[in-house]
Amino acid sequence: MGVKEFLFKRLVFMVVTLFIVVTLNFSIPRIMPGNPITHLMVDARLPPEVRSALVERFKMDKSVFEQYVSYIANLLRGDLGLSFSHYPRQVSTVLMERFPWTLLLIGTSTILSTLLGLFLGVISAWRHGEKVDISIQTTGLALWSMPIYWLGMILLYFFGFVLGLVPLGGATSPRLGYANTFEYVKDVLWHMILPVATMTLGGFASNTLIMRGSMLEVVKEDYVTTAEAKGLGERTVMWSHAARNAMLPMVTVIALNLAGIVGGAVFTETVFSFPGVGRLIYDAVLAHDYPLLQGSFLIIAITVLLANFFADIVYAYLDPRIKY
Amino acid sequence: MERHIANFRGFMRKYRRNVMGMIGLVIIVFFMSISIIAPLISPWDPYKMNTGPPFAPPSGDHPLGTNDMGQDLFSQLLHGARISLMVGFIAAAVNVAIGTMVGLLSGYFGGKLDEFFMRLIDVMIIIPGIPIMVLIAAYLGPSMWNIIFILVIFGWTRIARVIRSQVLMIKEYPYIEASKAAGADSFRIIYDHIMPNVVSLILPQAVLSIVGAILGEAGLSFLGLGDPTHVSWGMLLFYAQSYGAFLRRAWWWIIPPGLCITLIGLGFTFVGYALNDIFNPRLRR
Repeated sequence: MGVKEFLFKRLVFMVVTLFIVVTLNFSIPRIMPGNPITHLMVDARLPPEVRSALVERFKMDKSVFEQYVSYIANLLRGDLGLSFSHYPRQVSTVLMERFPWTLLLIGTSTILSTLLGLFLGVISAWRHGEKVDISIQTTGLALWSMPIYWLGMILLYFFGFVLGLVPLGGATSPRLGYANTFEYVKDVLWHMILPVATMTLGGFASNTLIMRGSMLEVVKEDYVTTAEAKGLGERTVMWSHAARNAMLPMVTVIALNLAGIVGGAVFTETVFSFPGVGRLIYDAVLAHDYPLLQGSFLIIAITVLLANFFADIVYAYLDPRIKY
Repeated sequence: MERHIANFRGFMRKYRRNVMGMIGLVIIVFFMSISIIAPLISPWDPYKMNTGPPFAPPSGDHPLGTNDMGQDLFSQLLHGARISLMVGFIAAAVNVAIGTMVGLLSGYFGGKLDEFFMRLIDVMIIIPGIPIMVLIAAYLGPSMWNIIFILVIFGWTRIARVIRSQVLMIKEYPYIEASKAAGADSFRIIYDHIMPNVVSLILPQAVLSIVGAILGEAGLSFLGLGDPTHVSWGMLLFYAQSYGAFLRRAWWWIIPPGLCITLIGLGFTFVGYALNDIFNPRLRR
């Protein structure tokens, strides 16, 4: 199987899944108990004329098929309806404001937990059975088994409330503007320490475990023995020869974990009042803001799908079994 | 009958030597006994308000202090064990039933049916679970049965996959071929010859499925989607987060519920892995 054929197959799968996600998003409010018009359009927070305009635009008074067609058409135009709790703003406007924050949080913590997992996994395998290995594994297991929101709450409680070392929530300080960009970046980084730490600590253990297992397999290979016999230093053998080849399973695991990482972001953002899509989901639930909730699910699902496809591309180029 | 007793004795001997499994078992037995005798050992009615001053730190009267409404947190924690275990057991039982059935049928019959279920599982795995569970829960409204329903929708897939791959292997065995030749119908073969061979996989998967359901219930409750008529551990954390536990430095409201969730999750995970080690030693890495 060539790279092209492999990627084409995956692309077809992604497109079909995307279609299913969109259809699910359309169907869920319509098959749930209650009136979909009430769920999606009619809310006391919207003025009556706006409601009737919305019913008109989404063809809610027509047949389900017409509703579906207009739903897809509106979706392609980026129209996800009006938010109840952020009226008069569009759902898409609210989402676009929040989305970059979630990407920043997920991106930073995924990179950090991958690097940490990689590093600790290699060490753990290289010294397997020794004290270092056992303590890395025990710590990893303990952190992995904590619910991520509880881990976040504990960190927030001690470092934020008791010690007062870090901000208590949000992504920026409430003040009127910054002297320069550097000040702004510094403030954001300051606010992101705990959320990123929470997601990194909660997520690195599974990476460590995979990397350790993969390393233990690789270490048995002849070329590692050869490298050692050639008289190369321990570090060179460990990192350049063994670890490099043990990394492949990590790519797949990160992609598979992505849905879980996004779930972790919902919890973490909720604990730290971080202004991303995750916290938005929590707020939308409490405010019964169904259009916003639907939109948030859609944007997250699409992101996960795209990231998975991206992982497929990386995998296709890393794995010689697919390439040649 | 005697053979079964001997088998069971052999199993117990192996299990007792499994340190992780024994630790897990102790944790589970501990929480199960607590949930059974919760009404007897709770110092207060968990829902009674003003049993003491609000945000009272731990004391003789209130071993784990009180919350913002003066409710006794120790009593609430004890009752929380009941909710967690009940949701965990019920959801896991249904997950096992559905997952086993799908795995058996899909693996044995193959073809279009198998293709359908496997693609369905592929799609379900890639869709982010927490957001879609939250979405459905928000429409269904907060109730324990709704939460169980949601946990089941997304909980059967792993079991189905594991059972299916085992069935694919077993159905190639000569004795299956022989009973086919003898004219046994498919359901008879599945029931008599394949089922007994997958039981060893079902048991550990069932235990691990309980972990998933307990953590799922806790997570949804933490996001405010729990049943407000029952205080579960996730709900305790949701209330702690929403009603000022941080500002009042009420660590006794934050630490214990999460610790319980962590411990019970670890307990079932340990037992699940121990069972896997004993029943399916070849799967061990």
